[in-house]
Amino acid sequence: MRFKAIAALGILSLASIIPAFGQATTKIGVITSLTGSLAAFGEAHKNGYAIALDEINAKGGVLGKKIELDFYDDQSKPDQAVQGVSKLIDQDQVPVLLGSYSSESTKAIVPAVSQRETPLIIPTATADNVMDSKSPWIFRVCAGANDYAKATIAFLKANGAPKKMAIIYENTNFGQSNMKAMTAAAKEAGIELVAVESYEAKSPDYKAVLQRVKQANPDVIYFCSYLLDATTLMRQSREVDLNPKFYTSAGTGFAAAEFPTEKGAGKNAEFTFSVSQWLPEAKWAGSKEFDAEFFKRFKTHPAYHAIQAYAALRVAAEAINNAKSLEPAKIRDAIKNINMSSTPFGPIKFDNGQNLHPVLITQVQKGQYRVVFPADAAEAKPVIPAPAWSKR
Amino acid sequence: MVRFLQACADGLLTGALYALIGMGLALIFGVMRIVNFAHGAFLMVGMYATYVLFDYFKLNPYIGFLPAGIALFIFGYLVYMALIRPIRDRSHFMQILMTTGIGLILTDAAQLIFKADYRQTNIDLINRSVHLGPFGANAAEVLSFAIAVAFVVGLRAFVVRSRTGQALRAISQNAEIAPLMGINLVRIQGISFALGTALAGIAGGLLLPRLYLFPGVGEDYTTKAFVMVVLGGMGSIEGAAFGGLVLGLSESLTSLYLGNQWALIIDFALFLLVLSFKPSGIFGRQRA
Repeated sequence: MRFKAIAALGILSLASIIPAFGQATTKIGVITSLTGSLAAFGEAHKNGYAIALDEINAKGGVLGKKIELDFYDDQSKPDQAVQGVSKLIDQDQVPVLLGSYSSESTKAIVPAVSQRETPLIIPTATADNVMDSKSPWIFRVCAGANDYAKATIAFLKANGAPKKMAIIYENTNFGQSNMKAMTAAAKEAGIELVAVESYEAKSPDYKAVLQRVKQANPDVIYFCSYLLDATTLMRQSREVDLNPKFYTSAGTGFAAAEFPTEKGAGKNAEFTFSVSQWLPEAKWAGSKEFDAEFFKRFKTHPAYHAIQAYAALRVAAEAINNAKSLEPAKIRDAIKNINMSSTPFGPIKFDNGQNLHPVLITQVQKGQYRVVFPADAAEAKPVIPAPAWSKR
Repeated sequence: MVRFLQACADGLLTGALYALIGMGLALIFGVMRIVNFAHGAFLMVGMYATYVLFDYFKLNPYIGFLPAGIALFIFGYLVYMALIRPIRDRSHFMQILMTTGIGLILTDAAQLIFKADYRQTNIDLINRSVHLGPFGANAAEVLSFAIAVAFVVGLRAFVVRSRTGQALRAISQNAEIAPLMGINLVRIQGISFALGTALAGIAGGLLLPRLYLFPGVGEDYTTKAFVMVVLGGMGSIEGAAFGGLVLGLSESLTSLYLGNQWALIIDFALFLLVLSFKPSGIFGRQRA
């Protein structure tokens, strides 16, 4: 009996050593939303990661080994994302983690990852509270809600300085935090908030909300929405004949590749403004090539969510190579000191975990996102005001 | 005033679909006294059935809801015979466990087959609207309203006029004496259960173009359906339809005047009020 137990233990411990020796690849953990309400964004992540992966492996991978991505699907749910941390770090022992997609899921995994002393690189979560913990293990590639609000306000000031704004936001971390950021920014700019309305993304009847906003008669609407809700909001805005001068938004659904197409809001997307973190036309070296490669593989053009995933994996690989080690603490220090002067997503360098990334304003014109602000990046003039629905 | 009337109209458009859901549960729970916690899951199955017909056979959901409803009728009958009949005389507690279990299995099966993805059926109609003076409505909602009203009226006629309907009411009045009068209790209960399931499925099919489809979509509707049945009064099919309309109106008006996030709170506040002050419901009969 005793012998058996010892033998079993021996086999178990051997089994746990073998993969460490036999591993021909280095695993990097990825949590994203491959299914669920945010699957469109998870798909963009996956595609962005795939391009970075092939690029890195073609150049020899990290520390002489190829990288392998270890995906965990959080089903667009925060509790599942937390389970993913345990699966990827405790079981699979990945040295660095990327993800998740949404602010809600990302906020949920920050403590779990910090506690396990593993670096987390956040590609897309814009809610600023994902950085609140000030944990030294957390890094964010994308710009945040405050940057969105400030860029939108600067754009409005430069285009007639409207006075009355309404905010419509989906009631989870992403929407709430963008609402808060815009509330503060509008106050500072002396813009009156005539309506601030939340909605539940999963029950798509927003007409009452839109009626209330219509009653308040704002010049500007600022939407904080994911893709399905953005699509429905624009359709129902048309139904209730809501006609502000500016439809603006905190990106995300309003900046998704599908949004201006028939799969999304189609014609109803026309004239909407959105913040954007990147476009294929961006001035950074490699942007066009990334777009071309993406289109070749996936037959659609990428939005910024894909390239942020791409950038996150590039950062992870660069950090591992700089650290010359798979020890999480050494990788963390390497990310802290990283200085990538040229990537297709622009230069990447972290200040207290945050990559300082500029924000653009785009407008949907003839079914395409066109950069309209700031002036030095603009490729088209904004159409203001948005024509009334009855005149479209 | 225009806004108020518009909100009322929107509320009734939704309420008619709620009425279908409520009547379905009223047949099962109100009349047959089977506590059915799988009602929302049946609605979800109806939605997926309609969705599959739309996705693979390009069948418009406003036609596809019919075969989906028939499929749900058969499915409901089988579920009754296999799972509900053996426990129909047991405590309500057993029925709650059984039907909750059925609901969970259906939801998880949907997740297994269709993944957790949110789906939308983009049909042309959903992008059109109908205008009448200052009022506007989505064309798809108007159509689903008309179909729902037809079913509500049809079902009422069936229950009042047909022999099966009479048998059904007899059982609801006295489940012990009715069988002595030559009514086949099991058969009638099975038909009621199947009919209730089919109504949930039909409502699901009609709701499909207006909602996002995902495995958990039915969960809210189970509770809402109980609210409708209690509002209208146990045992009353007309009452449940009325409860559905009230719920639709209350949600629409609450969203307009208080904000979206209040809608469910007011739903359940209504539920508690009726339970506390008029437990027999607005249309209900007092029972021993």
